[in-house]
Amino acid sequence: MPKFLHTADWQMGRAFTRFETEDGAALVEARFEVIETLARLASEHRCDAVLVAGDVFDAQTVSDRTIRRVFNATRGFGGPWVMLSGNHDAALAESVWTRARRLNAVPANVHLALEPGVINLQPQGLSLLCAPLTQRNTYGDLTGPFSGYESPEGFSRIGLAHGSVQGLLSEDIDSTNPIAPDRAESSRLDYLALGDWHGTKQINERTWYSGTPEPERFRNNEAGNALIVEVSDPGAAPTVTCLPTGRYQWHQWRETLAVQSDLEQLLERLDALPDSAVVDLRLDGSINLADEETLLKALSVAEARFRSLRCERSGLQLAPTDENIGALKADGYVGEVIESLRQQQEDAESDASRDALAILAGLLREREQEASQ
Amino acid sequence: MKLQRMRIEQLRQFRKPFVLDKLQPGLNLIHGPNESGKSTLVRAIRAAFFERYRSTAVDDLRPWGDSAAAPTIELDFEHDNHSWRLTKSFLQRKRCDLTVGTETYSEDDAEEKLAELLGYQYPKRGASKAEHWGIPGLLWVEQGTGQDIEQAIEHAGDHLKSALNSMVGEVASSGGDDLIETVRSQRDTLLTGTGKPRGDYQQLEKDRARLASEIDDLKERVQHYQEQVDRLGKLAQEYDQAEAERPWEEAQRQLEEARTRYQQVERLEQQQNQEKATLAQLQKNHQLAQQNREQLEGLSRQLEGRKADLERAERDLRVAEAQTPAVAGRLAEARTAYEQAEKQRKLAGLLQTRERLEQDVRRLEQQKQMLTQSLDQAKKYHQQLEQARQQARENRIDSELVKKLKATANQLNEETIRSRTIATRLSWQLEAGVSLTLNNEPLAGEGERQLLEESALVIPGVGTLGITPGGEELASTRRKLNTLENSLAEQLKTLGVASVEQAEDRLSAFETAGRAQKHAEDLLKSVAPAGAEQLASEQGEAENELAKARSQLQATAEPDPKETVPALEEAEAAFVQAGTALDKAESDERDHQATLSALKQSRDNANTEWQRLADEEKSPERQQQLRQITTDLANIEKQQAELESSLERREREIREARPDFLRQDIERYQNAVNHLRQTQENRGRELRDIKVRLEAWGAEGLEEQLNEKEAELDQCNRRYQELRRRARALDLLLNLLTEKRQALTQRLQAPLQKHLNHYLSVLFPDASLEVDEQLRPGTFTRGSELGQMAELSFGAREQMGLISRLAYADLLQEAGRPTLVILDDTLVHSDSERLEDMKRILFDAASRHQILLFTCHPEKWQDLGVAPVDIQASKERGVN
Repeated sequence: MPKFLHTADWQMGRAFTRFETEDGAALVEARFEVIETLARLASEHRCDAVLVAGDVFDAQTVSDRTIRRVFNATRGFGGPWVMLSGNHDAALAESVWTRARRLNAVPANVHLALEPGVINLQPQGLSLLCAPLTQRNTYGDLTGPFSGYESPEGFSRIGLAHGSVQGLLSEDIDSTNPIAPDRAESSRLDYLALGDWHGTKQINERTWYSGTPEPERFRNNEAGNALIVEVSDPGAAPTVTCLPTGRYQWHQWRETLAVQSDLEQLLERLDALPDSAVVDLRLDGSINLADEETLLKALSVAEARFRSLRCERSGLQLAPTDENIGALKADGYVGEVIESLRQQQEDAESDASRDALAILAGLLREREQEASQ
Repeated sequence: MKLQRMRIEQLRQFRKPFVLDKLQPGLNLIHGPNESGKSTLVRAIRAAFFERYRSTAVDDLRPWGDSAAAPTIELDFEHDNHSWRLTKSFLQRKRCDLTVGTETYSEDDAEEKLAELLGYQYPKRGASKAEHWGIPGLLWVEQGTGQDIEQAIEHAGDHLKSALNSMVGEVASSGGDDLIETVRSQRDTLLTGTGKPRGDYQQLEKDRARLASEIDDLKERVQHYQEQVDRLGKLAQEYDQAEAERPWEEAQRQLEEARTRYQQVERLEQQQNQEKATLAQLQKNHQLAQQNREQLEGLSRQLEGRKADLERAERDLRVAEAQTPAVAGRLAEARTAYEQAEKQRKLAGLLQTRERLEQDVRRLEQQKQMLTQSLDQAKKYHQQLEQARQQARENRIDSELVKKLKATANQLNEETIRSRTIATRLSWQLEAGVSLTLNNEPLAGEGERQLLEESALVIPGVGTLGITPGGEELASTRRKLNTLENSLAEQLKTLGVASVEQAEDRLSAFETAGRAQKHAEDLLKSVAPAGAEQLASEQGEAENELAKARSQLQATAEPDPKETVPALEEAEAAFVQAGTALDKAESDERDHQATLSALKQSRDNANTEWQRLADEEKSPERQQQLRQITTDLANIEKQQAELESSLERREREIREARPDFLRQDIERYQNAVNHLRQTQENRGRELRDIKVRLEAWGAEGLEEQLNEKEAELDQCNRRYQELRRRARALDLLLNLLTEKRQALTQRLQAPLQKHLNHYLSVLFPDASLEVDEQLRPGTFTRGSELGQMAELSFGAREQMGLISRLAYADLLQEAGRPTLVILDDTLVHSDSERLEDMKRILFDAASRHQILLFTCHPEKWQDLGVAPVDIQASKERGVN
């Protein structure tokens, strides 16, 4: 009854744009940590092997340190690891894999599936049919030869491939490296472990994308998992258990503020998010000065609490109410300036006017606060 | 605001309380001489408002040397229908109390209330300075600062604007200028004056560019890396394929084959060359044998030649021999001719010798004769000479002595004559045979005597007569005569003559002999210059020569007179000619003999040659050789034919094998092998190179670096965009704020201008003074004059300053603000006419504002229409 852990798309060596340096570093670090998590889970669930269905590395030329750290992170599981080369780390004449070998970074229990063929794990009773990428992209189905591969009697036939199952995933995502949707059936596989799709996704009862174990983008939700697959008997349907592994949850919200309750709702939702959230917020609509102050305070609190919070407010117009302006005690020509800016903002949808208004309101608010103190 | 009463105590020279009351709501003229305390009053009002009661920087208020003093000021004034009383004490008793109507304020509250009322501020620490004075700084003019209006307006700043708020409605903004400054400073951290990025913003712009270029570099390198990886894959495949197929081995096999074939052809060519050499050798042998045969066959021809040679030699000899007699004949003739010529020459020589000898004889005879004659003459002359010499010897006498003698004789003669004249003459005529003796001297006949001395005349049978001559000279004459006679006698004796005549004769004879001797000597010399002996010997020699010549002549044969004898010269020439002819004939004869002998030799040689060849021609060895050579030639020719056909056969064989193509094949296959191997080696090398390179590049983690750089750029971009938006917003905000503020000041400009014009029309009816946007009096125009106020004279500036201040006071009053004008000794630089105008202005202003005018020149202000307050008098009154 072989049992193994299915994971993929580690994308090691990826750096994160759009984040503050510190946050980016933490997100990178989390990707190393998740390998350790995978090893720990494999041990805990007494898995026979860990199968990584491609894109262990995000690029061929990652630093030596990254290569060593990746393999170091596998130490928590002493059983066999099988790593398949994907489109990001294709087994070219010179590749991240040849470098890893040159560096002597690959432990003995890690098998690199860099050539098409079968890897038999004798004691575990696993026969792994591998379809590694040896070019950056291919346009033929590399799993095609699986049907011709023979497996030892009594071994579970497990396919390991990286690419997009045809007709199921949207066309624009990695439409190269196609895989036939009925590959598991046509090649008599007990299970087909796939990589390339970063969210966990079941294709059919024997075919799964494990998704990336640690999210690294805002799209493709259902990322941050690993699959424990148990094949009871050759030919029987496998039992697949999805385990969460990700440390950070990525959220991307697009909200339009119109009435005050919109803001209240938004703040409640933000409040509900765990500390490990990575949030990308984009607001439009309009807001009055008092609400903006509330929003800024809330964002300031959230920024401190979450791993990362980014809020794009350039689309959010400032609509000061008379009451707002009164509160600012902007008398005389300063009051005229506020009115003029508000007008410009509405008429020309000018970012500069909006920003100028925000700055002026901020300054006046400060002055008021100083005065009240 | 109207100040009603002022009281001070313990303040500078006012140690005792001083009260200034009954101040008028309008104009107040307060005067006092210097040091009377005029300035102290002004200072007290200022201190009461501007200085904090607890200030430690007001020591100047303390009466001199009074450390215990608590300078105190009490002011009563009315404002807005309320009575205000301010009491402020400094230093030793720090206190401030303010009563407004029924309300009281104290300490800081009181001070803030005042500051708000008048529009000024307190210093944070230390003494109050001009920049703190606000509106009062504008209306309270210190001595000598009336013209500094701009500074005062600037210091009044915001106070002024907020004070004027009510005038312009709600457009003025409290703290608006601070806001502008804040926005400006925030904008200026991002943008330069001209709107270019600066500081962080500028740095980000640069960073963006730098990162973008770094990313481009990295992308290029990643691209290059990937190309190299692809190249590596392709190369590895090619390399492995080549290693498996080994195409260079097939090429090598073909090369070997071509080489074998080419070696075969080379061997053929070698044989061909050997045979060609053999053939050449044979051809050479053939040529030699032919030459030999030709040589042998040529012997008979040579023999004939030799025969002909011999005959020719013999013929030549014969011709030469035939010429021999002619040659000998010519020689004999020449010899005869020579001998004849020689004989002729001898004869001619002999004849010539004889003629010479005959001449010699004749000459010598002549010479001998001449010499004999000369000798005879010489003998004669010699004789004559000897005779002359004899005569001379015989008659030798000294001519000088004779001369002297003659002189003595003459003298004696003369003396005698003289003595006769004086002497006593004795004459006598005696008859025959009578004799007398005179002085023992007998006298006879007739005679006469001169007697010079006593004489005794003895007359025989008579006796003696003594005669003594008279005359005194007679004695001396007689002595002289005696002397002369003695001398004459002496001389005669010496000369050996008896008389003078004799002496003269002898001298004559001597001289004649001398001449004869000279003559004889000359003659002798003419015939025998060298002497007679020489002449004799010459004569002897001549005789000898003559004898010799004669004997020679006799010894010389006398030629036959019949024979014709040519002249010697002719004979000589003929002889030389004959000699030459003879030499020629002899030489011809010798040549002929030599020719003969040479011809004989030639003939003998030719004969010998001919003989030898004739012998050889007939020898059996030669016949044998000739036969042998003929056989050899036949053999050689046969071998040649065989070789030539063999050569031709092999040539064809070689040609058909195409050695040139074979050589090209070898080169081609060799190149192919090299090329194939080289290509493979290159592949191997490139593989290694690329691997090494990729290893190095891989270690750099290019794509990871690229990722990181992109993240950095993204962040940089984000920050840049933020700053850009912020910069634009701040710029916009600043522009708006300044624009609006500008609009505000422009709205204040008009009323201020109105008030200013009101006063200005009094002072300069045709002038205008523009108020600028900062509400400052600026451009001044009067007629064609145009300029800034600062360019005016001090007096004019002071006047302008004052009317500007008054205009401000009017403006402030309109805005409902308190106005109190304090002028401390102002307008001292104005001339009387201008001062008159200013008085009108002040009087006019005083109808709206309270004005305190402090002066030490009350006489200048007499016509101001108000009662002056004399400080001095008030002080005294206070004391009283």
